[in-house]
Amino acid sequence: MASENLLEIKALQTHFHTEAGKVSAVDGVSLAVGAGEIVGIVGESGCGKSVTAQSILRLLDEKSQASYSGEIHFEGVDLLKLSQRQMRGVRGNDISMIFQDPLSSLNPLLTIGEQITETIRSHRKFSRKNAWQEAVRLLRLTGIPAPERRVHEYPHQLSGGMRQRVMIAIALACEPKLLIADEPTTALDVTIQAQIMDLIAKLNRELGMSVLLITHDLGVVAEVCHRVAVMYAGQIVETADVATLFREPQHPYTVGLLQSIPSLDRDRAKPLQAVEGFVPALHQLPKGCRFAPRCPHADARCHAVMPLLEAKGSLGSQARCWHSEALSQKEAVGHA
Amino acid sequence: MVIYILRRLLALVPVVLIMSIVVFLIIYLIPGDPARVMLGDGADESTIQELRQQMGLNYPLLEQYGRWIGNAVQGDLGRSFFLQQPVSTAIREHLAPTLSLALFAQFIAVLIAIPLGVRAAVNRGGLADKTLNAYSLLGISVPGFLLSLFFVLVFAVRLKWFPVSGFAPLHEGIGSFLKFMFLPALSIGIVMSSLTARIVKASMLEVLHEGFVKTALSKGLRQNTIIYKHVLRNALIPILTVVGGSFGTLVAGAAVIETIFNIPGLGQMLVHAVERRDYAVIQGMVLFIAIVYVAVNLAVDLLYAVVDPRIRLQ
Repeated sequence: MASENLLEIKALQTHFHTEAGKVSAVDGVSLAVGAGEIVGIVGESGCGKSVTAQSILRLLDEKSQASYSGEIHFEGVDLLKLSQRQMRGVRGNDISMIFQDPLSSLNPLLTIGEQITETIRSHRKFSRKNAWQEAVRLLRLTGIPAPERRVHEYPHQLSGGMRQRVMIAIALACEPKLLIADEPTTALDVTIQAQIMDLIAKLNRELGMSVLLITHDLGVVAEVCHRVAVMYAGQIVETADVATLFREPQHPYTVGLLQSIPSLDRDRAKPLQAVEGFVPALHQLPKGCRFAPRCPHADARCHAVMPLLEAKGSLGSQARCWHSEALSQKEAVGHA
Repeated sequence: MVIYILRRLLALVPVVLIMSIVVFLIIYLIPGDPARVMLGDGADESTIQELRQQMGLNYPLLEQYGRWIGNAVQGDLGRSFFLQQPVSTAIREHLAPTLSLALFAQFIAVLIAIPLGVRAAVNRGGLADKTLNAYSLLGISVPGFLLSLFFVLVFAVRLKWFPVSGFAPLHEGIGSFLKFMFLPALSIGIVMSSLTARIVKASMLEVLHEGFVKTALSKGLRQNTIIYKHVLRNALIPILTVVGGSFGTLVAGAAVIETIFNIPGLGQMLVHAVERRDYAVIQGMVLFIAIVYVAVNLAVDLLYAVVDPRIRLQ
């Protein structure tokens, strides 16, 4: 299959086998990441964004816990059709991943160097010595001071920001084409968050590495992403390039998310807008539009029939809403 | 690290001291006059008085303890009335069979428990898990002596692969040593491994949910590398605790197994001493066993530090 996209997810479904039966945490997600592109996935906790990310590397336990359907093409190869052994050759090599909490993501009993070199040595023919030199180079690349010393230290001796840099160094070990960053800054201080995001953006520019960024923070999306997909209850409800999403949101959920961002020049007397209600549980999803129960514009059709993800507006957005045209006009009138 | 070791060593002093007091008071906890009990009904008064003098029973209590602990610190645990030799010599002679049995049994236990517990945790509900459940139920409910009698019947009496009982020291050749040691070690090893395997499984399950296991998977490591290098190593601390504890118990003497297989170890020696009310031996041995326990615990504490840099680098 010839394709310009590095990663192309088509109609991905990820099912979990629970006591309440089979539930789909990811339900028909289609998404593409081009070479050198940073794509964001945003949504509330439990919307399926992390499961989507983990499904790409097939990190969920397929023996007892989860199953996948759909297609995940990476450089034209469907990852869902690979054997476990072939999949191992992709993980950490072509596609790497970093996680939310760098402390629990690093093995407390092994030195930083050991954790970097084991990735290198499991994919490349490096001598021990060369791999350690490479580990020092990678630590320097991620901006860790005194990497020759740090490489012999353990995770508990580093600060949170340093640990996430180490995770990034591990992820970069085999020069992957795609980095999946699953809420990489959520567990960090605000000042450190910015540093880590800058680092990821810099590595994207300098190494040409594509990034799939999972986050609940639209501020982060605005800063570094090129394109963005908004997820709700296991589905993508809107996708657009970043500028368009912020200028002309098509889906009421996106509008709600944008309104809930606090800004410095807002009227402090008014309470911050929130999207009322909760994400529905996976085993009792609404029949129609999944956002309908929380949506201020929902009507009978919304509750009965699920809308498809379709092109909306003039700027190439796609949204899953019956009312987006009417809404965007109303919105425009409201602003005028 | 040095401070960690020193702190651990220092913490042992009061433990040993309190143990020594309890051990010393054993004589007074057992009813009857020790000298009279030891000499039996037919003894005349002057012989009893002579033995009382010899045992130091006529001194005030505090002085008796002072003499005893003073000598014990120098390695002199008194003389055995029945064995006609110093207690420390007797312990030394009986230590080798017990220690080799303990090491061998522990080796077998770990050899069974680790792979079984690991596989059961990794593949929950699978064959290994079901085997573990049945095996540990069997190991916990069937007493060691029954198991050993069964092994003797099958492997020694019927199949004649191993001798029925006895002991050959290691310096007389490894072959005969192993031949005598195998059945008793296997009986103890199986019972011990059933508990250890459960701990291995529980501890592994806990670590399997940790974030770094997902990281290891996302790095493209082999399953065995993930399981043994990342998960098992992190699961090791509770396992070490259980293994250390059961090893201490074994050195204290697997009296029943030693009796069945007629192994001249500490357990057998202690049972005989109790039967004969050989007070010096009982006191000396209990103190020795207490020290062994404490030493094993210290060794386990030090192993924690070897495994976990967070303890080592405090």
